[in-house]
Amino acid sequence: MNRFTKNLHYFSPTGKAGLIILSLFFLMAVFSARLTTHPHDVSSGKALMPPCFDHVLGTDDIGVDLWSQLVYGARISLLVGFLTAGISGCFGALVGMFAGYTGGWMDRFFMRIIDGMMVLPDLPVMIVLAAFFGPGLAQVILVLSLFSWVFTARIVRSRVLVIKQKEYVIYARISGAGPVYLMRKHLFPEVLPLVWVSMIRLAGKAIVAEAGLSFLGLGDPTSRSWGLIIYHATRFPGIYYTRFWTWWLLYPFLALSGMVLALAFVCRDLETLADPRMNQKISGGV
Amino acid sequence: MKPESGRIHMTCLVGLVALILGSCTGPRTPDLPVMENGRVEVLRMEGGDWGYPTPFAHYPRGPGGFKMALIFDSLLERDETGLIPWLAESWEISDMGKTYVFTIRKGVIWHDGKPLTPDDVCFSFNYASKHAATWATVFGVIEQVETLGGNRVRVRVNEKGATLLYALGTCRIIPAHVWRGIENPRTYLAPEALIGTGPYRLTDYSQEHGTYRFEAFDRFWGPQPRVRVLEYRPVGEPILAFEKGEIDLTSVPPDLVPRYAGNPEFALVKSPAFWGYRLVFNMEKSPPLKNTRVRQSICLAINRDELVEKIARGAAVPGEAGILPPGHVMYHKPKITYDFDPAQAVRLLQDQGFHVADGQGEITGAPLLDFHLLISTQEVRMAELIKERLGQVGIMVHLISVDGKTRDARVRDGDYQMAIIGHGGWGQDADYLWSRFRENPSLSPSTSGRCGYLNPGLNVLLDKQHVALDPALRAKLVADIQEILAEDLPELALFYTADYTVYRPATYDGWMAMFDHHALSHSKLSYLDRKDGVH
Amino acid sequence: MKKLGRLTEYVITVLIILSINFFLPRMMPGDPFLFLSGDQGEQISAYSDEQIRQYKACYGLDQPIFRSYLSYLADLFRGRLGQSLYFNESVGHIVLRRLPWTVFLVCGAILFSTVLGTALGSLSAFYRNRLLDNVLYGFMMFFSEIPAFLIGLFFLFVFAASLGLFPLSGALTSFSPDRSVVQVLKDIIHHAVLPVAALSLTRLGGMYLLVRNIMISIIPKAYMRTARAKGLSRYRIFIRHGLRNALLPLTTRIFMSLGTLVGGAVLVENVFAYPGLGLMISQAVMVHDYPLIQGIFLVITLLVLSANLMSEVLYRVLDPRVKDGEG
Repeated sequence: MNRFTKNLHYFSPTGKAGLIILSLFFLMAVFSARLTTHPHDVSSGKALMPPCFDHVLGTDDIGVDLWSQLVYGARISLLVGFLTAGISGCFGALVGMFAGYTGGWMDRFFMRIIDGMMVLPDLPVMIVLAAFFGPGLAQVILVLSLFSWVFTARIVRSRVLVIKQKEYVIYARISGAGPVYLMRKHLFPEVLPLVWVSMIRLAGKAIVAEAGLSFLGLGDPTSRSWGLIIYHATRFPGIYYTRFWTWWLLYPFLALSGMVLALAFVCRDLETLADPRMNQKISGGV
Repeated sequence: MKPESGRIHMTCLVGLVALILGSCTGPRTPDLPVMENGRVEVLRMEGGDWGYPTPFAHYPRGPGGFKMALIFDSLLERDETGLIPWLAESWEISDMGKTYVFTIRKGVIWHDGKPLTPDDVCFSFNYASKHAATWATVFGVIEQVETLGGNRVRVRVNEKGATLLYALGTCRIIPAHVWRGIENPRTYLAPEALIGTGPYRLTDYSQEHGTYRFEAFDRFWGPQPRVRVLEYRPVGEPILAFEKGEIDLTSVPPDLVPRYAGNPEFALVKSPAFWGYRLVFNMEKSPPLKNTRVRQSICLAINRDELVEKIARGAAVPGEAGILPPGHVMYHKPKITYDFDPAQAVRLLQDQGFHVADGQGEITGAPLLDFHLLISTQEVRMAELIKERLGQVGIMVHLISVDGKTRDARVRDGDYQMAIIGHGGWGQDADYLWSRFRENPSLSPSTSGRCGYLNPGLNVLLDKQHVALDPALRAKLVADIQEILAEDLPELALFYTADYTVYRPATYDGWMAMFDHHALSHSKLSYLDRKDGVH
Repeated sequence: MKKLGRLTEYVITVLIILSINFFLPRMMPGDPFLFLSGDQGEQISAYSDEQIRQYKACYGLDQPIFRSYLSYLADLFRGRLGQSLYFNESVGHIVLRRLPWTVFLVCGAILFSTVLGTALGSLSAFYRNRLLDNVLYGFMMFFSEIPAFLIGLFFLFVFAASLGLFPLSGALTSFSPDRSVVQVLKDIIHHAVLPVAALSLTRLGGMYLLVRNIMISIIPKAYMRTARAKGLSRYRIFIRHGLRNALLPLTTRIFMSLGTLVGGAVLVENVFAYPGLGLMISQAVMVHDYPLIQGIFLVITLLVLSANLMSEVLYRVLDPRVKDGEG
């Protein structure tokens, strides 16, 4: 806790704003039931009501309260984002470090897999996988993780490759340091900031990707995530010529952008925070 | 400094919003060509790739077949009220509907200048019976075709059926001198493959750009084309393209109807409701659905008016218990009706001893009604409403949303409990009831979907109408069938969509809809001078 | 020997991709010839069982899957991609007609995002934590995070529909003969602006961030200080040392992102109805046209794979420290 407040000191104003927004979304997700008066999955008013006292953000085409949907949607977005980031970040970091450090055929093996994964056009494969697994939140997270870990792995591996050539690592190895020691003492600390940053980025990407999959109609149709609200809104015939989009499309769009931007700002500060040497040099140097 | 960047985002966003708001104005009027003497040089319509327009290569989805029909004539054609003579001047049916004699029109020439002969007609039937055309109306149907004297052709069919005249009459006539010896017609894409007798010739087609260009054939035998060139080009937003004058006709989402209604510059047409969604029950997979009362209470619990109002935004007609839509030529209003009545649905279910909620959330009875509803992603909204309404009478519904192809395959294989499917053709000959509801192991499950429904009395009626040639008798039989269907509810018609189409009458006004099909731009009669009449 | 090892690795990768490519589409539930339902208002002609049987026999889909796999490989070896089930044409023809458009879009997006990303990233790093940096960073964050399809839709609406600056869809103006080559080229570029811009904007953020971070990390490096001590101007140091250092990660990033870029192109081509492989593959997936899906997958993956191969060669040329094969 103490460390957290100390670190908070390093956050820039935008980073702090990002943190505040993120925590607001977290609160929204945790206290969904208290924050809403209408159900989020069944209609509670007339269809396409503009924002009014009873329905703060209006209703959608089948009369479901939009504020409730947004509040419950925060849960899904956060869940998808952080679960995907967690799974793929951890896995990717492990694979990347392992492959980069051991080298040889293991490295080549993993690189072939990573290459293969990267080369496959992800969207069509996701479409096929989503069709194969069937829709559902767990499936969406699975599909997203399946495609996300390679990025962390690749970044980590290339960093490890460079570190391995550094003099102090070579000296350490010559002096008889074992691989576990090397990884723990030299590689891991060097790589960790990268992993953190890439994980936060992955969370943002996963939230966007979930929205993209939902936009294509491949999300969980019963989940009512923000992406799904946008999907239904954009598919509504004539959405751009009527006034409906001013509440139906705009608010989930804003929520989605807000969440993603908040993540990006936090990520930015973490990036400098994670590499204090770089930070000090810069503040002292230029 | 940093909050500044945040402020900039907000400014951008507000700017973008303002831009969009500013663009939400009414339709603009670009300079457009107008008709001269009822004729027009070029008409432009929404394009998209629907395949190479031969009877075999156009795609099964979408309007490709109607483009093909501009090039290829059939023996009969469809106008607003029924079948009319086309390449055949007259026809006779004998042998209880097993033999058809067509008198072929004289003086018809192919696009390459050769005359149409009765041999071409024979060849076309034989060929289409062996090789399935995309619109396979006569595939495997023909027993024998021969030419008689006096330009007559006699067709004998395997089995008699009331719809065979329609099937034979709409089979495309192709030139024997081109198609003879073609083994795989689906991949025959040579320029000669586009030689027909129709009013238009294809002058340009691009698969990747989705463009078609047709030019009128100046030696066409029939009514003269009023439009010299038909252009189909892809558009991103049909409404925008229409308002910018890039296309001359488009369908209008119901919420945009006020934009055009009452404006004399535009003509707004509500199409007949021949495209519908149905809720199918798999009684084999889910035994409670075998119970007619359960199906009836489902019907009572689903608010079809609400579906029309919310899902179709009012541009639809609520489903009929007797399946046939109200605009159908053989529509009959059944005596039994199902207005939205959840209380009655609960009573019915309780009578059958099911476990239901009776409005106050109080629960009685024993077995629980719990169904999986299979849908494609297109029908999620509809399914959510149905789920909500059925939930109110204590019927639990779980949505299973898959892609369209998967849903179709699962419906065919009977791997569902309830499913929603949507398709056109509800305005076609009532014989589709026969293929949907006739219990018949030899019948293709592809077109019906297995359901486990059995009603011997209905089977007898369906068989009778299937071979009845007298229209009055058929109408009577079909009315009786609708009564039974309304009583039994082997499936539920949810609603039939009735789209709005808008065009500028000053640009062109010849649009017409066929008696059994909804789209104005699909009939080739829309482009011909019908005052000319068919000679 | 080592070269041979590398080659076998690539061959194995290609084989794995081929197998995935063959089996994945076929694992999709659904029947390519079954048409029970259509999109709302869409006309469909349902095939009868007899008809489906005829078609399946015609395309060899009635064979056991392993035999189809073998004949697929044999056909590929003879350079045949097969026959499309839905579009009734040979897959090779379809792909050849579509490929140039996608390559055009993707190359345009790469060029645009790299040049602009590098310029802005350097600028941002140069003025780190000043107003310009913050504004640029904010913009980049904003646009790079919004999904390409939304940006595309937005562009479509604002620039094409409301302002009428660009065409709504397609790659060319149809039906306008008698134009000079220059006019046609202008027309093509005019059509490509919005899709390329939408595609670039999502890549731009990544490029920008990468260059910015590299540049920032380079500033405190010892040799930069030496250079500064030698009295070189800051700009020149930046350009000379910074860009040279950025070149390596930048090229890898470009080649690495090709797969994602193609994914983005799928969505963007769909938004703008741009006649590339992306539009085609989504249509092919929709109708379960296995040979076409496989053909497009294959062409895309082979292209990206050869790009990867090139990137590795480049990597070695540019960074001699990384030695070939650690073992």
